[in-house]
Amino acid sequence: MSSTLLANFAGLTVMIPVIAALLMLLGPRPTGLRRSFATGVLTALLGLALWMVVHVQATGPLVLRVGGWMTPYGIVLVVDTLAAIMLSLSSFTALSCALYGFAETSAKEEHPLRLPLLLFLLSGINLSFVTGDLFNLFVAFEVMLLSSYALLTLESGANESRRALPYLTLNLVGSAVFLATCGFAYSLFGTLNFAEIIGRADLLVGDVRLTVLAILLLLVFGLKAGVFPLYYWLPISYPLLPAPMAAFYAGMLTKVGVYVLLRVFGTVMPPQLESVHTLIGWTAGLTMVIGVLGAVAQGRVQTILSFHIVSQIGFMVLAIGLYSPFAFTAAIFYIIHHIIVKAALFLVGGVVIRANGSDDLSRTGGLWRAAPWLGLVFVIQAMSLAGLPPLSGFWGKFMIIQEGLTQGEWVLIGLSLVASVLTLMSMLKIWLGAFWRGEPAQPLNYDWRAKRMTAVGLGMVAVSLVIGFGAESVVKVARHAAIETLNRPGYVNAVMSANSTVYEGKHP
Amino acid sequence: MTNQLEAALLVFVLFTAGIYLCLSRRFLRILFGFLILSNAANVVLIAISGDPTGRGSGTVDADGGALNRIDPLPQALILTAIVIGFAVASYLTVLLYRLYTDRGAASMDTLYADEAPGGAVAKAKEDRL
Repeated sequence: MSSTLLANFAGLTVMIPVIAALLMLLGPRPTGLRRSFATGVLTALLGLALWMVVHVQATGPLVLRVGGWMTPYGIVLVVDTLAAIMLSLSSFTALSCALYGFAETSAKEEHPLRLPLLLFLLSGINLSFVTGDLFNLFVAFEVMLLSSYALLTLESGANESRRALPYLTLNLVGSAVFLATCGFAYSLFGTLNFAEIIGRADLLVGDVRLTVLAILLLLVFGLKAGVFPLYYWLPISYPLLPAPMAAFYAGMLTKVGVYVLLRVFGTVMPPQLESVHTLIGWTAGLTMVIGVLGAVAQGRVQTILSFHIVSQIGFMVLAIGLYSPFAFTAAIFYIIHHIIVKAALFLVGGVVIRANGSDDLSRTGGLWRAAPWLGLVFVIQAMSLAGLPPLSGFWGKFMIIQEGLTQGEWVLIGLSLVASVLTLMSMLKIWLGAFWRGEPAQPLNYDWRAKRMTAVGLGMVAVSLVIGFGAESVVKVARHAAIETLNRPGYVNAVMSANSTVYEGKHP
Repeated sequence: MTNQLEAALLVFVLFTAGIYLCLSRRFLRILFGFLILSNAANVVLIAISGDPTGRGSGTVDADGGALNRIDPLPQALILTAIVIGFAVASYLTVLLYRLYTDRGAASMDTLYADEAPGGAVAKAKEDRL
């Protein structure tokens, strides 16, 4: 196949979910047919993304100039190894959560807008992975946020819809600041294209305006990622979602913020911004500890898990703050591990709620006897999250701590170890409350649907175990992605050389 | 950059007013605060499309010389931002209205009355479970 045809695949990752969602809206009733259609679309996306991970490593980034415009003037979509990895993860998580949703409710009881909104959300997420300019990133964020607002309140009851308000208000302020930051970047560089910014930012090294811009970007993306002190909205809003959607949010949404931090501070901004990197590292350290302290204090499964997201985000962002190829490898590996583990844990939480009628740990119990497989899913993923060898979480934490020790960041490493121990402690709390304790007063509702839901969790555990035991090959891919992300001239070269490929048909 | 003091002042006033209103407890003020905020960001964009730095536009005339025009790109950005801002504002309106119909609340005080210290915390817990 010619390279121009292949470049279109970069756009397909965004277009397929949009088109599929619109087609689904044509048939407004949720039926089995619609479900199999969604499953097919998500599987195709996953296959496409996995193929791109392999292809992009061999041949370099896929670059699509949308509409055939020359690069600094038009919109450009870039799929490099990191973006391809993230695309695979988003499709995989969406597929698992959709299948879990299918197991949870019958086709008739499903909310008719849930699947289309999930696909719109996915297209926004995918666009923010593949976009090659700052303003398009803003648009991608807005597509993603609008779908996420709608999904958040779609199935919430009268008592719960108010939990969406902090999420909405904070993100509205974040969007306004992001838009103003785009304007600031444009007045500074005269362009919003990443590849052009790279060249012009190098000329501004040492200029205080560049540092201000970097801090503004950190503020905007830190809010999206849930970094201290901007994490407040996360543990309030996530538990109000139905379990499969909560798992998708927990897996993907904050990780979009982390990905953009990797992309902007790794590729776009010059590496000389050491003061900003130090700032990133210290906010990450505080995020880890404060997030996990929140988790220890909570008494409901989904809330504990939501606070853990905040804490784990700290680990990934710490690796970005350490700023070296090895630290970036660790961050990318950690993202791969975390998305799958976290989504699976939220799915387990959903089964706990279904079986006990509540996820309040003072009212749950008896699940280890009733559902040993569910217990197995929980134990493996919880131990992985805490970072016990040889599970996937261990390797991520090991690499981050090794890099921190090499750079002599003793305090930050100490904080991360404290956070790991406390993570294990709060996971034990869920284990003791929901699984180990004897039968609660009311009988458990662990029916065939709950068994199917557990099966989806088992599938994710299998993938997670493969990542843990096959860590060497995953680290190789992550290292390739990290080196590519930090190779700024390589990025410029890949984007600009796409100008020489001629697209067939009419040109603007 | 010269002669942009008035734009800077306008942006400062708008952002301050917007964030102040967003932080208030009444729903209507939050809504107005957001509308002002999104327009403050638009003013930032329009301020950079002028020609105070002498930066010409991306367009050229037939001979390849730069035309003495205003940079059109920020205006394209504003158009997109206005559309997005409109969509978000309509969602915010609907959500606030829903909170009003669901809970009879038009301010944060009534919305979270059951969780206020010394309030009906215990009762709310009973209701939820």
